[in-house]
Amino acid sequence: MPKDDHYVIIGNGPAGNCAADTLRKEDPEAKITIISDEKPLYYYKHRVPLYAMGGCEPDDLAIRPYRGYGEKQIRLRLGQRVEKVVPPEKLLYLKHMEKVHYTKLILAVGASARRLPNHAAFAEHLQCLAGFDDAKRVREKLLASSRIVILGGDLISMGFAREARKAGKEVVFILYSSLFWPVSLKEEIRQSVTKRLTSLGVEVVSDAEPVTDVQPAEGGYTVTLPDNSELSADLVFSFFGSVPNIRFLVGSGINTEKGVLVDDLMRTNHEDVYACGDCAQIYNPEFKDYWISVGWGNAEAQGEITAMNLLGREKVIDYQPKEIFEMDGVTIRTSWWKSFA
Amino acid sequence: MTSSVDIVIEICGSAGEGTISAGEVMTRFMSSRGFGIVSFDSFPSEIRGFGKCVAHFRVSSEKVLSPGKYTDVLIALNDAHAITQLSKLRKNGVLIYDSKPPVCHEEDMSIAGWAKPCMTAYGIPMLELANKAAGNAKGRNMVAIGAVAWLFGIDPEAMKAFIETRFKGKKQKIIESNISSFLLGYEWTKNNIPKEDPYTFEGAAPPIPEGEKIIMNGNEAVAMAAMDSGIRLYAGYPITPATKIMEILSKCLGESGGVMIQTEDEISAAGNVVGAGFSGKRAMTATSGPGFALMGEMINLAVMAEVPAVIVNSQRGGPSTGLPTKMEQSDLSAAVNGGTGDSPRVVFAPRDVTDCYKMTVLAFYVAEKYQTPVVILLDFYLSNSIRNIDKPVPPDEAMLSANVFPDDEELDDYQRFKITESGISPRTIPGMAYGMFVDTGLEHNTYGKPVYDGENHLAMTEKRYRKFHTMQAELPPTVETGTEGEVDIGIISWGSSSGAAEEAVRQAQEKGHRIASFHSSTIYPLPEEALKTFSKRCKTLVVAELNHTGQYANLIAPVINREVHRNTMITGLPMASEDILEYIGRFKF
Repeated sequence: MPKDDHYVIIGNGPAGNCAADTLRKEDPEAKITIISDEKPLYYYKHRVPLYAMGGCEPDDLAIRPYRGYGEKQIRLRLGQRVEKVVPPEKLLYLKHMEKVHYTKLILAVGASARRLPNHAAFAEHLQCLAGFDDAKRVREKLLASSRIVILGGDLISMGFAREARKAGKEVVFILYSSLFWPVSLKEEIRQSVTKRLTSLGVEVVSDAEPVTDVQPAEGGYTVTLPDNSELSADLVFSFFGSVPNIRFLVGSGINTEKGVLVDDLMRTNHEDVYACGDCAQIYNPEFKDYWISVGWGNAEAQGEITAMNLLGREKVIDYQPKEIFEMDGVTIRTSWWKSFA
Repeated sequence: MTSSVDIVIEICGSAGEGTISAGEVMTRFMSSRGFGIVSFDSFPSEIRGFGKCVAHFRVSSEKVLSPGKYTDVLIALNDAHAITQLSKLRKNGVLIYDSKPPVCHEEDMSIAGWAKPCMTAYGIPMLELANKAAGNAKGRNMVAIGAVAWLFGIDPEAMKAFIETRFKGKKQKIIESNISSFLLGYEWTKNNIPKEDPYTFEGAAPPIPEGEKIIMNGNEAVAMAAMDSGIRLYAGYPITPATKIMEILSKCLGESGGVMIQTEDEISAAGNVVGAGFSGKRAMTATSGPGFALMGEMINLAVMAEVPAVIVNSQRGGPSTGLPTKMEQSDLSAAVNGGTGDSPRVVFAPRDVTDCYKMTVLAFYVAEKYQTPVVILLDFYLSNSIRNIDKPVPPDEAMLSANVFPDDEELDDYQRFKITESGISPRTIPGMAYGMFVDTGLEHNTYGKPVYDGENHLAMTEKRYRKFHTMQAELPPTVETGTEGEVDIGIISWGSSSGAAEEAVRQAQEKGHRIASFHSSTIYPLPEEALKTFSKRCKTLVVAELNHTGQYANLIAPVINREVHRNTMITGLPMASEDILEYIGRFKF
């Protein structure tokens, strides 16, 4: 590759960082830039609940210090939002009014908290915890709270409930079995989840989905259940997984559906644009359909494969399940479910 | 109860964007609120163009003595210029930038793109708001000040009133534009920017000290002191950074019956001053390095003819025209030793704005009483640095009338250059009865008649030097701070670098180090005994100054006769306490 190649990766999660590391390893001369609208350094997402509960500080979340990027000659642009992608010109426009030219682009933008449509009327009263910024926003209130209601859930909610209990909070978990993310809970798994939560001291409420209202009351909130009974809470959290952060691609000409559509070489419909991680919908020639994966390990694997493909070393994504998640003792296979709920 | 605050702010823009003006509004306002201020502006030497301007100022609830090396808040009015200032922004610093420039920045030309993750970056649509407020882009600087006011807890009403006062005398439309831009910047930021940084001035304003205060810079203090000292003639040729002195005197000297002459060059300016001094009038000129070089022969004439003259040299980067808008203390050797022959002259170097006033008053007194040229060494930083000082006390009658006149007996056989024990020969002013004499640049006998024999030359030279010994008793005492008794490190500094030295000593002392500083506002004659005494109590001796060779270190070395470490720097910036602390970090103590 000529030295003036500029590989730009949008996203500072496991997929983006693995892609950057692989690119640097395979192409020591290229200019590599990671851009992310989040400000924190690449961090352990599973520690976010711990941080939210005051169990650790921001520095404890960071996987790699800032200087680590400098040592690898990778430019890290954090807190910088990409507003627009123009593939024909190989150009990005950043929100702070700066153009960035790329020769190859990897979209590894991840996903943000998914909100349920039937919660829209009271969404403003629901807290999310999809990432560090959410945790930072709610941390102070959370530390002062004593009773929490969780609606959902998903992979993070289990860890969050555990940390809340460890912190001495009273936790009520309204389990949305049919909307559990990334897959609805079959009875067997539902029982495992319930058992695990109960063993942590969490009060599990089943068959109460969806709640009909959440409104402020006496310094906290009142949660109304379908049978019109009410629960009180200091804070109410919503955990229903995530949706890819691809809104900025509208008008770019890059094909998207729920995520960015890529082939099994992680290529989008534009020659020099790739996607991987939580934001990618990957074509499976065997099933003739697009599939999506979540989870740290899958994202890392995809980042590495995408980088290799970008460099012309064709490497087809492995269709077999990559990772089995253990959520606080409950085992769920998280790879390759067909679509977002 | 007030909290403590110490914030270094930089506004960086292009010439014509109101960068220095915004800095001046901020510093003067914060100073009027009782905060300790140290400021330093840098701007391009070209009169026209789009060069980089930086208004750098430190605002503290305590008294501060140096400008601070690192910045807490960087306000970018021009991204391309401000990017170069980012390296000085602290890792958790605040960046304020224009989020709606007229065109999208090319890659890497946006300062926001270089902000590090630990920094807080606030994007304010300065241009858009300025256009909305006043219909043009001129108010961007005021929009930025409005944003700063909201972000850092500055009372907008008080600031608004201050802007009104500051721009008083300008067209009403200009005043209104500035105020509406300021207010819109404030309101927009309040409504759109959640504060994420820890810096605030709220609750940190110290109580306004008793006594009348005055906000001024070094040039203004010199001009004020000259007026208070009864200056009758100012002659000068404009030159950065001394021009302001002439500007001020051009407005007020005529009103008091004096004369301000803009001469054709600096030789002429010095000649005018020597002429006025000869005729018994207090006179002064102000210049910088290149002009000072031209004045050399006239200063020599004043030495030989024993004529009072006050010459201000506001130093900048040299040699030659050098670095016109950069800071340096590199004219010391020229000031002390720049004359041909054995040509002693008094050299003062004030340490701060208050000292500028005091040393200028003293300069007129010493020049007149001891019939000698007195050079006052200012520098770019001190000339422009704004401080809130106690209103100076004007000189008393004794300071205003220092001439030593001959008595009747002496007039019977008047010897203008009479050999005396003090070295001071009573002098007459032209026009005084029986006081006629000859005065030239030639060596002369006691009557002033040219005489070239060696014996006479020795006697006259010794007499001229003897005045410098005599005047020692009237010069201000040296200043020592820090640990008393024996210390591990002693820092000697001069001029405006002394503030940084004193501050560095204070900070090192707080960490338990045995350390002290030494300052003398009199460069020549050297305070030899004080230097020797200080030297003896220091294990390691450092001279901190802003030139390459260590000019003050070279001057004092024969006196203290020991190894001196030279903490020299020629970055174009003033000395900061951090510069000294980083330097002395190499010594084990």
